[in-house]
This record gives sequence, structure tokens and C-alpha cells, in this order.
Amino acid sequence: MSEIYQHPIFGILLTVIVFFAARALRSKIKFVLFNPVLVAITLIILFLVILDIPFEDYNKGGTYLSFFLGPAIVALGVLFYEKYELIKHNIYPFLLAVGCGGLISIASVSLISIAMHAPDVLIRSLVSMSVTTPIAIEITKITEGIPSLTAGVVIAVGVFGNAFGSGFLKLVGIKSQTAVGTALGTAAHGIGTARAIEIGPLPGAYSGLAMCVNGILTTLISPYVVLWIVGSL
Amino acid sequence: MSPLRSRLQLLKAFLWIFLFLGIGELIRYVSNVPIPGNILGMILIFSALKFKLIRLKDVKPASDQLLKYMVLFFVPYGVGLMAYFDFISFYWMMLCVIAVVTTLLTLYITALVQQKLEKHE
Repeated sequence: MSEIYQHPIFGILLTVIVFFAARALRSKIKFVLFNPVLVAITLIILFLVILDIPFEDYNKGGTYLSFFLGPAIVALGVLFYEKYELIKHNIYPFLLAVGCGGLISIASVSLISIAMHAPDVLIRSLVSMSVTTPIAIEITKITEGIPSLTAGVVIAVGVFGNAFGSGFLKLVGIKSQTAVGTALGTAAHGIGTARAIEIGPLPGAYSGLAMCVNGILTTLISPYVVLWIVGSL
Repeated sequence: MSPLRSRLQLLKAFLWIFLFLGIGELIRYVSNVPIPGNILGMILIFSALKFKLIRLKDVKPASDQLLKYMVLFFVPYGVGLMAYFDFISFYWMMLCVIAVVTTLLTLYITALVQQKLEKHE
């Protein structure tokens, strides 16, 4: 029986079937914790644990899917070009806002980690916490953290931002919908952007762009921050 | 447009995306910059569109598909968390504090700067 699990098609089929089932569930029940990615990951882990299948066997197929993260990141550049026209007149305030947010995110992760005496691997894995999952994984490979830990935390941050982001911003006195969009994209990447699109197409565009810009910014800065704090890469 | 023609355009669009990915990886390989090749590819394809070296309709069929299913592609990394149960159960408090404080702070600062500086038509 174990030969079947070791075939790449097992991991591919399991992921695709569970993912589309989770998406169908989400379209029936609009509850934020039923985020398709979150549900799919939880169900697949349960399945593998219960049947005692090692992650390595599953990932023989999983790597075929992960491979497409590369071209998907390139596709973000196309998205950026499409949305760029919409916000051209506000480009400088927008870039400054994303820049401040991105830097605050890196600084906050670093300072809290130091204050709580977190192990180095935590800073290495979480420094890219706010950016979109595929880019965060790439950054973690450079900073030599644990890519799976990054993916887990980044997805959790996205779901948190999606659920509470706009409510929190209203509470602290943010009235501009485009500012809410920029903030959701900067802090909670694609899953936050999904929320911004619900608010409106323009906040959605700001959010998508903010996700791309913060991805580039964090890629450029975080290796040096990690090098500075931890002392090695 | 005939179905065959639109299939061919989709194929061509994927080739463009992979070409830019390849150029990005090549630059990363020869120059040793600490930027992943796929992110270089993303910057390059944006520049190529901006300077009209390629047209949006050449690449859009493929980029739309890739973005639509992007979340599916990172599911295997999320499943990889199962190998770190002990690590997470030991550090869960720290992880929660870092994630929640950082996210709220980032949301607030970003929104505040944008709201203060943006122009309205």
C-alpha cells in the first residue's frame, strides 16, 4: 500500500481534491475561518497523520504544485502593471505608506523576538511575515529559516488580517477606504487583499499593489536585518 | 476567437511568463544578488510591460490563471508544518504575540500614512 503514497500523483491528487472541496465549502459558508487554504492544510495534515503517511511521501507530489509558485510570482508583476494605472495620481503617498508599513513590520518582528529571547530560527523564519506566501518562502530560503513555519504563520496572519483588519482600522479612526486597502495588502498580503476587494474595486487595487511593493521591499531589506541581528546567514 | 486560437495564446502567454522567470533565475545565478530569481522576473515583466516591450494581452491569459490558483500552489508548504508540531507547541505563545502585535501595528501605520498624505479627486 505504501507504494501508492510514494507516487507523486498521490500528493497532487490529495491536494487538488481537498483544496477544491474546501473552496466549495467556503462558497456555501461565508465564515472567515473556513478560508480554503487553512481548511485544506488542516484536512491534509489530519489525513496524513491518521494514515501515518510521512510528509516526505506526500511532498513527492507536493513539489510539483510548489513549482508553480515561481511563475505565479512573475504573474504578480503583470497584476502590478494592470493596477498601476488606477493609483498613478497617488503613487508617492502610496509608496511611502507601504514603505513605512513594511519597515514597521520587519522592525516589530525583530524587536519582539529579541525582547522575548526568541531563538534565531524564529527571526529567520518570521522576518517576512507580512508579505505574500510565495515571496515569504523565498525570503526564508535566503535567511535560512524554516519555509513551512513561514508559510503557516503568513497564512495565519492573512486570515487574521482578513477577519479583523478593517474593523480594527475603523476602531482606531481610519476613514479612507483606499488607506484600508493599502494597509490590508501591506500587512496581510493576498488573503487581506481578498477582504479589500470586498470593500470595493479601488481599495482592492491598492491592496494588490501594496502586496507586490511590500514583497519587493521586504525581499531587499530582510536578509540584511537578519544578518545584522543574528550575525550570520 | 476560435477555441484553438485561444489555447495557443494561452500557451504563448505561459511561454512569456516562463521566459521572464528564466531570465530572472539566470541573473540571480550569474550575479549572486540576494534577490530570488522569480522576484527579479516579476520586476522585469513589469518593466517590459511599462516600456511596451510586450503587450498586456500577450501575458494576461497565463498570469490570470496563475494568480487564480496561486493559493493552491502553497498548500504543500503549509502541510509541511506537520513536521514542526513540537516546535510550534513549545513556541506558540511567542508566535502569537509576534504575529498579532506586528500585524496590527503594520495595518495602523500603513493606513495612517496613506490617509494623511493621499490626494482626493
